[in-house]
Amino acid sequence: MNTIVCVKQVLDPEIPPAKFKIDPETKKVIPPTGVPPVISVFDERAVEAACRLKDKNKGKITVISMGTAKAADVVRHAISMGADDGFVLEDPAFENLDSFGTAYVLAKAIQKIGAYDLVLCGRQAADWGAGQVGSILAEILGIPVVTFACSIEAADRTLKIKRLVKDGFEVVEAPMPSVVTVSSEIGLPRLPGGMGLMMARRKVIPIWKAADIGAEAAKLDKANTHSEITGLSIPVRKSECEIIAGATPAEAAGNLAAKIIGLA
Amino acid sequence: MDANKGVLVCGEIAEGKLATITIELLGIGRKLADEVGEELSILLLGSVSANLGKDAIAYGADKVYVSDDSLFDKYNSDAYTQAAANICRKIMPSVMLLGHTDIGMDLAPRLNGRLGGGLAMDCLSLSIDPATKFLVTTRPVYGGNAHATGISKTARPQMATIRPKTVPGAERNDSRQGQVIVIEDKVDPTTLKIKIVERIKEQVEGVKLEDAEVVVSGGRGIGSKQNFEMIKELALALGGAVGATRPVCDEGWTPSSLQIGQSGKVVSPKLYIAVAISGAMAHITGCLGSKYIVAINKDKDANIFNVARYGIVGDYKEILPALTAKIKELKKA
Amino acid sequence: MLPTSAAYFGVSGYIIFWVLFVVAFGLFAQRTYFLFRLMRLGKPENRFDRVRQRFQNMFREVVTQRCSLKSVTRKDLAGIGHAMLFWGFSFFLLSYIIFIGLAGGFGLASVLTGNTFERVFSSILDFAGLFVIIAIIWAAIRRYIVRPARLEMSMEAGIIMIMVFAMMVLHFGVDGFGLAASGVTTYWPPIGGAIARYLISTNISTNTLTAIYRSLWWLHYALILGFMVYIPRSKHMHILASIFNTMFIPFGQKVVLEPIPVEQQDNFGISKIQDFTWKDMLDLYSCAVCGRCNANCPAQLTGKKLAPREVIHNLKEHLLEAGPALLTIKAETAKDGLAKEIIGGVVTEEEIWACTTCGACQEVCPVNIEHVRKLIGFRRNLVMSQSKMPESAQLMLRNMQSRGNPWAGVTSMRLRGDWANEAGVKVPAEGENSDTIFWAGCTGALVDRNVKATLAMAKVFKTAGVDFAVLGGAETCCGDPARRAGYEFQFQIMAEQNIEVFKSHNVKQIITSCPHCFNTLKNEYPQFGGDFKVVHYTQLVADLIKQGKLKLTTELNSKITYHDPCYLGRYNNVYEEPRRILQSISKTKLKEMERSHSSSFCCGGGGGLMWIEEQPGTTKINQMRLDDALKTGADTVVTSCPYCLQMFEESIDHQGLKDKVRAVDLIELVEGAMK
Repeated sequence: MNTIVCVKQVLDPEIPPAKFKIDPETKKVIPPTGVPPVISVFDERAVEAACRLKDKNKGKITVISMGTAKAADVVRHAISMGADDGFVLEDPAFENLDSFGTAYVLAKAIQKIGAYDLVLCGRQAADWGAGQVGSILAEILGIPVVTFACSIEAADRTLKIKRLVKDGFEVVEAPMPSVVTVSSEIGLPRLPGGMGLMMARRKVIPIWKAADIGAEAAKLDKANTHSEITGLSIPVRKSECEIIAGATPAEAAGNLAAKIIGLA
Repeated sequence: MDANKGVLVCGEIAEGKLATITIELLGIGRKLADEVGEELSILLLGSVSANLGKDAIAYGADKVYVSDDSLFDKYNSDAYTQAAANICRKIMPSVMLLGHTDIGMDLAPRLNGRLGGGLAMDCLSLSIDPATKFLVTTRPVYGGNAHATGISKTARPQMATIRPKTVPGAERNDSRQGQVIVIEDKVDPTTLKIKIVERIKEQVEGVKLEDAEVVVSGGRGIGSKQNFEMIKELALALGGAVGATRPVCDEGWTPSSLQIGQSGKVVSPKLYIAVAISGAMAHITGCLGSKYIVAINKDKDANIFNVARYGIVGDYKEILPALTAKIKELKKA
Repeated sequence: MLPTSAAYFGVSGYIIFWVLFVVAFGLFAQRTYFLFRLMRLGKPENRFDRVRQRFQNMFREVVTQRCSLKSVTRKDLAGIGHAMLFWGFSFFLLSYIIFIGLAGGFGLASVLTGNTFERVFSSILDFAGLFVIIAIIWAAIRRYIVRPARLEMSMEAGIIMIMVFAMMVLHFGVDGFGLAASGVTTYWPPIGGAIARYLISTNISTNTLTAIYRSLWWLHYALILGFMVYIPRSKHMHILASIFNTMFIPFGQKVVLEPIPVEQQDNFGISKIQDFTWKDMLDLYSCAVCGRCNANCPAQLTGKKLAPREVIHNLKEHLLEAGPALLTIKAETAKDGLAKEIIGGVVTEEEIWACTTCGACQEVCPVNIEHVRKLIGFRRNLVMSQSKMPESAQLMLRNMQSRGNPWAGVTSMRLRGDWANEAGVKVPAEGENSDTIFWAGCTGALVDRNVKATLAMAKVFKTAGVDFAVLGGAETCCGDPARRAGYEFQFQIMAEQNIEVFKSHNVKQIITSCPHCFNTLKNEYPQFGGDFKVVHYTQLVADLIKQGKLKLTTELNSKITYHDPCYLGRYNNVYEEPRRILQSISKTKLKEMERSHSSSFCCGGGGGLMWIEEQPGTTKINQMRLDDALKTGADTVVTSCPYCLQMFEESIDHQGLKDKVRAVDLIELVEGAMK
């Protein structure tokens, strides 16, 4: 079973909020020094879903990531978890693309990779969180899409997917190939084992340019972008927090109880 | 000149009536339509859709497009995408609004992909730029650390999803006039690639999170599934609902429907008690609408104290039992 | 005339002697060889360097009985008893060889006996015998009446005590009856002679005396042979094994962890008995089940399941049980082996994850067993091969992997390089040379409370004119938590990266604030080509004070006590420098805790347990240590490790003792004392 997973390298979401800085002019975030970027939270879950399928059904997992050359790190991380191969899509033409542009580039890369039974993405990127690439990708590839998967199984040419709905879950069946976006409810991603770590270190991760995947300039032209960001700001949050104290934790708790009993 | 005109709301039907989110969408839709001087339409799919035309008009719609095909009674991604895309191609709206619900989050991106418009999801606010008449969306990014405003210059329709309880619901005016139009096109069932096998309702004990006035939430610092019982007890004592952060749900300590945060539920109760939650932005955006936030965390520098009104610095294991007991005592009195 | 020269039912005594000997020795040799073959199932390990020093170690540990005497405390004097037993019995061993073997078996009685040599030897032997008897009685009283906690009731202990006691009694009997049968009245040997004189005075016939003498002599001989046969078949195999174990003590490092070769694909760490090295197996044989490790283990003392002695004992039993099957299979297939999985069967995951790697077990072990690395070996298998570990461990290891430090997402409100901005210290540019680097460590750079200490350190160094730079944001974790938690490859990756960074700046010396960084950079990075001079800040500061480069006032007027961090004290023998520093700044004299220096009690933060949730027990480890500190009446607990500081503060907070006692890092006091 051939699976392709799309992963994105993002600013570490766990940096302290006080350290989060933006440049309102360029409308970009200023990454703090010394904090390595990480794999987007939901994309890591997508890799986990792919690994779980490979555990059961054998097959191959290919990982692709559109970003800077450093994105090789997240591809390597996916390989250490159990993916087989990976590619980085890096080109000046790929910068500042919107969801449509991103999906287009990924689609061209997927077409270059060749045969596949399943394409996995995270449900949204941990940075911009647009939440659209997976669905647009499916439109471009002309295949079905199932969103917010929390468990995926494969048998014959059918995917059995449990997905999140408002007050519970829905179990659906989709044909192969399909795009499936993965949500965090799938559970914790595995810690890369010893073998995975070493394999990932040795792996060569090729970089593909626009020409390598046959991406047309017209489709990447920023003038044709579907949406654009006109402003980026950090909301001002002011709060005075009153710390409730006590001689012992129990006493403090009692004081707090008195304060909040009237608030409910 | 924009060939696309008008605002189209994709409505949701819940228990045979217009869902609350739909009424809210009609409210904001009406406002936006008035600002550009164009029509407000709504798309309703399902057996009862025809009956709801009057309600939709009363809440502000000029035109109500209905299709009473029973195929639409339960949300079906392929079917809804087809139907909505067809209607869009016919009436060519300039703006399309959906709820940021499990339906909208699935439908909007697919629709956008099919129609080639511009979509902004989970919007905090929507407005019309007075000069360009473009729809201006404001949405949280980077887990809520920042807000981004966006527009779509040429791509149409301009699409947006908005969470329930973000904007006020429309005022009902039964004297309003409007048109109910039945959609003739049927969706060919053989074109539906995804088959729904079953629906599993998740049993959540106690008060529902979305409606609760009090929410007691636990974070990674709780440490284990057993320890989470303390959260439940406090919630019970306060008559509130239980919430959790994403890592807690990932670990399986609570059902995922209790997840509060950017990728979970956004709640705005009167009282929100965050226990052993560090206060990462991705969670906080889910509870910032609360009137009072109370934080209990053993790290005095935890970010949660920057957004809380009251806080105790200490080990929740020692504070919660005493707190629960005292609350029970005070409630009896 | 020794009984061997007589004939019994027509059979020459010599024949009986030698038949018995050959049988007994055969049984002894067969069993010992079996144990040796089992040991050979283990992986190779090179402990064969510095031969002379190894023999010196053996001599020092065994012959002078340092092994036993080092563990003598006011409460536990048993080591003295063992030394008495050992020395006494050694004499007897010599006498057996001379007076039974050579004289009896080889018929050299005429040369060796009936002379001054024998007289003197026997007299000394009498005292030795007394020593041994006293030691045995003392041991029996301890074991059966006093019943100290660390001793386990066992049949084998009882049997050996009875055997040795009987051998002593028989010795006196043989002596007495022998002398009496020959009609010799003498005062030397004193006890034997006294018995002889008494027997002679009873007018028992010479024939009877001789008959009894001979019976006792053969009984004595048989008992000695029985003892020899019994030794390798009981826990007393430790007598043989431990002598060799002292020869194979590691040099320099307390816990020797071997890197895993990068080509290895699977079977990481220890899962089956053959995954151990021969030295690990020798450790198992060497255990005398004394229980001192248990009595000093912070996990055991706070009610966790982990008991180091039980781990070693269960592994030994498993080796003896599984071994025979493994020996019958050809060498190649033995690699996969039929031996059952150790983890779960012989040692449980609960025990494996309770260890703080404090090394107290190894410190007090009289036979130098290396407990810690066996547990880390299990952790390697759990983490790297099976992906099984406590949730809190997985979280920490994931952070190590994706963020390069164990603190992210839990407490980190700072960025790595932040502290350097506040301190105004030099950060070298890429490719710029820097002789000396001050390594802040993850805790010292990221956790607010500990950053205070790091800033104090930078200030002190600057004031003393130390020329140093810091890596700032380019510093990542030294890898210690990953290595102790068994995530060895991650550690190796980090070590290699860090060494590359050091080399890119041509670093010669590294100053660390954290003893874990200190231990890792100093003792473990050389395994990966990192050869730098690494000092802990206490060593540097003590030196600066001595050189007069740091002028300090002696005004500190608190009631202080000092906690020796495990990784600074036991692991690296740095005990005096911190104390010297305190002496030069404190008006009041430091009051030592009962468990200090090499017997310091762990704070509970090592071995990755700073992040792994502590198992439920009777109390928390840090609470127990804080109690130690409070017992001294101190109002200030001084330590020189960021984990220890965190642990003390947590316990002070937890018990609501903020008004009574405070925990500080030593450097904070130094900063406060600067003129």
